[in-house]
Amino acid sequence: MNAMMKNSRVYKILLNILPVISILLFASLWQLASKNGGIIPTPLDVYRRAGRLLVKPVNNISLTGHIWASMKRVLLGLLAGCVVGIPFGLLIGWNQKCCDYLKPLFELVRPIPALAWIPLMTLWFGIGETSKTALIFTGTVMPVVINTYTGVRLIPQINIDVASVFGATEFQTIKEVVIPCSLSAIMAGVKTAMGTAWIIVLAAEMISANSGLGFMIIRGSDVADLPLVIFAMIIIGVIGAVLSWILTFAERKLCPWKVEIN
Amino acid sequence: MAKKVKVLVNHLCKSFGDLKVIEDCNFHINEGEFVCVVGPTGCGKTTFLNMLSNLLEPTSGEVLIDGQKVNPKKHNISFIFQEPSSFPWLTVEKNIEYGLKAKHKDKQYISEQTEKILTLMDLTRYRNTYPAGLSASSEQKIVIGRAFAMNPDLLLMDEPYGQMDIKTRFYLEDEVIRIWKELKKTIVFITHNIEEAVYLAERVLILSNKPAKVKDEIVIDLPHPRDVNDPEFIRIRKYITDQIKWW
Amino acid sequence: MDTDFCRKEIMPMEGRNKLEIKKLSKVFINNDSFEVAIENVSLDVKENEFLVLLGPGACGKSVLLNIVSGLLKPTSGEVYIDEKLSQGVNSQIGFVFQNLGVMPWLSVRDNVAFPDKLHKVPKKKRYERAQKYIDLVGLNGFEKHYPRQLSGGMKQRVGIARAYASIPEILLMDEPFGQLDAQTRYSMQDEILKIWNQNKKTVIFVTNNIEEAVYLGDRIILFSARPMTVKGVYDLNDLKRPRDYTDSRFLDIRKEISNHTDLVIK
Repeated sequence: MNAMMKNSRVYKILLNILPVISILLFASLWQLASKNGGIIPTPLDVYRRAGRLLVKPVNNISLTGHIWASMKRVLLGLLAGCVVGIPFGLLIGWNQKCCDYLKPLFELVRPIPALAWIPLMTLWFGIGETSKTALIFTGTVMPVVINTYTGVRLIPQINIDVASVFGATEFQTIKEVVIPCSLSAIMAGVKTAMGTAWIIVLAAEMISANSGLGFMIIRGSDVADLPLVIFAMIIIGVIGAVLSWILTFAERKLCPWKVEIN
Repeated sequence: MAKKVKVLVNHLCKSFGDLKVIEDCNFHINEGEFVCVVGPTGCGKTTFLNMLSNLLEPTSGEVLIDGQKVNPKKHNISFIFQEPSSFPWLTVEKNIEYGLKAKHKDKQYISEQTEKILTLMDLTRYRNTYPAGLSASSEQKIVIGRAFAMNPDLLLMDEPYGQMDIKTRFYLEDEVIRIWKELKKTIVFITHNIEEAVYLAERVLILSNKPAKVKDEIVIDLPHPRDVNDPEFIRIRKYITDQIKWW
Repeated sequence: MDTDFCRKEIMPMEGRNKLEIKKLSKVFINNDSFEVAIENVSLDVKENEFLVLLGPGACGKSVLLNIVSGLLKPTSGEVYIDEKLSQGVNSQIGFVFQNLGVMPWLSVRDNVAFPDKLHKVPKKKRYERAQKYIDLVGLNGFEKHYPRQLSGGMKQRVGIARAYASIPEILLMDEPFGQLDAQTRYSMQDEILKIWNQNKKTVIFVTNNIEEAVYLGDRIILFSARPMTVKGVYDLNDLKRPRDYTDSRFLDIRKEISNHTDLVIK
């Protein structure tokens, strides 16, 4: 009975409508809550404020400008994290000696939260773009290294044996076996790093910036412009979800051999 | 001696969407009988077994145990999978107790039953060992012991010896026959290996290719332990092989 | 143990020896203990024969194969190929692993072309060569498929095609059909004999399945459990091919070997 239902078109249409329904439901509850509270702005207020934003931009930068400012910092920080993290992860995963020397140091640095780096980063790089990128880097490099390292460790020995038996050099083994086989774990690391980067960029912007979505929140908060704050939060959520979706899509393209467990 | 019917299957059909896996299966299994089910690779044997244990609902038709629709809460059905499925975090003794504990039997009964099974399976000296410390055949014995400990109405075995080497397989086959004779349980045993089926079963059900139907049935009236070199054994093996040979 | 089929010592055979193993031993050392896996094994492999190494599970046959292929070093003893000492990985040797050895991130075609890629053969040429072997194992039409889309038997055929593509003179096969169900195994046994007949090579085939050994081998070398030594050699050259699993002579040999084999039960 259930099997038949699952294949019907009604079910498929329902599957597409349900997310929309749940969002509308949430918005209605929100509307109700805000009417009774008086403090929380209503969805309508937020919507109107968003409209005003298009006419009178915050700090003379358009909405897309703010979005791009935050995104640019994230992407740079992520890139730096990958450029350093992936080779480092591969190195300590593959080579036992390097692992013995370098991993303990890495484990010591890892627990330090990105935000604890702020004073040092500000001191070294000032309050401009570089320090923000450096801060994001501390947050992205960790998950990338850990996941890459784990990916290498989990490669079945037999795949490495196959390469040896057919006469592969160490370099060929790394290029042809280690990297493709750990790609899916590396992508998981990048996804996690992306999430971390997004959190850090907003914190960094809230502390010292004059553009970006985090900056918008601080601005709004300074002048008690709650609709602006909430609008920025919604945009942040949407962008975060879109980025995550893009990465999942990229992973599927790069690793077509992986099967998701349903 | 008239045999009582334990399992009755009427017009059993199973489809997954448009894919018809099992079509109009009709057969019965008598109480205390050892039946083997064979068929070509991929014909739906595991689906078949899953429906006997009600892990899957049939699309149409019925499976009756003792005259009633199969119900895991009412009927005591034990299932043995292909992969060794003992719990690695429990000792041999605790593994065997597991099902009984899950069904909330009283302490006295549990300890008596566990002792009986440990002795029967010759696992007493390993009672406090973890499965990881044992060979694959001993691990399978734990699983079989655990299933028999439940005193099942029906024991379903899905190719439990498929991954074992030949001597281990012969050994475990002899073991299961010995325990079956001792405890007189009803057993349905699925296998790809025709020789194994002829070695074990009182009756062999032969399934056709997808959609699976019971193509044929053979009664094997040879005494245990059987001799694979025996001409009658060979004749039956050849007959069944011809029925399902696709290679 | 004197019978028609079993000899305790290895008789000198007709024909050239492709591979010789002399007094091979392998000891594994763990922190404070050691385990003798292989003890003083000597055997010869004739050119183009299908030799089966038979023994109970985990007795050391795979270790022996790994040493011959160069993946492991022996503790003592030597391996000679074409009467020359063999050390390390040898390009004359092809290896078929159990079907897990097929690389899941490569298509069938890329898997079969893998050895050529390591030898820097240009793409067009290696795909051409790969196609030849894909056809040989009967997988044409599946070139672009990924292993997860294939059945166990098909994955195994990819492994065989890949080993053949490296044009080995000696083909090592390590329990290649161990993970397959009984019927698929029968089908694959016929397949490998068909492929071997079309493309004769020296084959060393490892298995713990006595029936499989008697079906496939020109000769069977029977091993004991660890520490592994040679228990006996069976010459099956007078058992005509194609062989019949239910033929009375086949069954007699099988029974005799079965009685002679170590049972590893704990």
